[in-house]
Amino acid sequence: MRGPSIATFAVFVVLVVVLILLPGGCKQQIQANFLQFVSPILKTGSSVQQGLGGVSGGLKKLDELEKENRQLRQENEQLRTTNNLLKTLETEVNRLNKALGFREQSPFRLIPARVIARDNASWWNTCTIDRGSEDGLAVDMAVVTEAGLVGKVATVAKNVSSVVLVSDESLRVSVSIEGTNEQGIISGTRASSNFVPDLRIRFLTKTAEIKPGMRVTTSGTGGVFPSGVIVGTIKQFTVKELEGVAIVQPAVDLSKVQDVFVISGIK
Amino acid sequence: MIRFFLVLILLIFLSLIFQLYIPPMIFLKGAAILFVPALLFYGSLTFPLPFVLVLVFLTGLWYDLLTIPLGSGRPDYVIGTSIVIYLIPAMIIHGFRPLFIKKGWGVHLFLAELAAILTPFCLLAQYAIISFERSDFFFSDVIVWRILGPGLIAMVTTPFVFLFLSSLSHLVGFRPQAEVTKLS
Repeated sequence: MRGPSIATFAVFVVLVVVLILLPGGCKQQIQANFLQFVSPILKTGSSVQQGLGGVSGGLKKLDELEKENRQLRQENEQLRTTNNLLKTLETEVNRLNKALGFREQSPFRLIPARVIARDNASWWNTCTIDRGSEDGLAVDMAVVTEAGLVGKVATVAKNVSSVVLVSDESLRVSVSIEGTNEQGIISGTRASSNFVPDLRIRFLTKTAEIKPGMRVTTSGTGGVFPSGVIVGTIKQFTVKELEGVAIVQPAVDLSKVQDVFVISGIK
Repeated sequence: MIRFFLVLILLIFLSLIFQLYIPPMIFLKGAAILFVPALLFYGSLTFPLPFVLVLVFLTGLWYDLLTIPLGSGRPDYVIGTSIVIYLIPAMIIHGFRPLFIKKGWGVHLFLAELAAILTPFCLLAQYAIISFERSDFFFSDVIVWRILGPGLIAMVTTPFVFLFLSSLSHLVGFRPQAEVTKLS
């Protein structure tokens, strides 16, 4: 190594060490500033993705595409265009109606937000929403839809925030199972082969009478999530050596969720 | 050289964001398509060490800032860790720089495949750190695919990324061979 290389390497090492040793609040501020910096690109990317339509739904298999292509050829061009337009409008109206109804009926003060990016390439299940501190968001606020719990706010920038999803292994939520006195801790899985990963409730009583189809809601313990928010439904209950473990199907399809609400308080 | 270096930094930055919009491959159990390692490794092959360190630092930092959820609790992965993770394969690849500069397309193809093979290293290292922090180390077929899948995909995509970057470097007037001759 030559002189300049050694000097650069020394600076590099110092910078990395300083960065790693920075206090948590400082790192959060750096992340918030970075998110704010990239927010115009994320919002543009989200618009482009919506314009392209269906890209986020996953790459289809070749045989599926061929089948779809055959069906599409059979349709009349004009009718298809009209139908698609009407369907899109109907879906949009239904979606917005649902969201509006939920916001009005909900006992919580809700801030509407839109998902503008999803992280599919890392070990963490996160997404980015188009609301930030200017809209009243703060770290640890719960994120929900009319269907149930989505996650919680992790980092807040001025106009955007990152949300850690309920399917992430690191997010632990205290829940109760309807129709029983059972309470447990629900968390996601580290890696899942599909877009809607199951959740897992631990620390349940081994003798609990838990049946598939029972609803799981937040218990409110811990203070981050208000009680009564639906998390999912029981799929399976197994008894382990020390505890009962339930597998839960999340109430919200986290791979497709677009419109969310951030709970900022109680009305 | 500076012009291509800046172009490469911009490409890495945009690719990090672009990756957020690429859906995972369902038939490869959710394996992701990663372009950033290929860009970084091309930079490691073409630039001198100080430039490589800057590329590694920015790539690791941006990756962490974009992906790691911090929240109010103690994170299980510290921001800045990815810089160290990317440094190792980048240094291995950088060791092949003299070969890359002197030899023809056959060696370039070999190095592109080597870069692709090193892609899963970053994912494996991240997984190992998370597992260690969460005190729960387990492997399943999904996790194996999540680690090896991007490497397999990269074996197909990396030669094309290298080809694109090689053309781009010529376009902006950067030829690694000429730079080395000038310096010596």
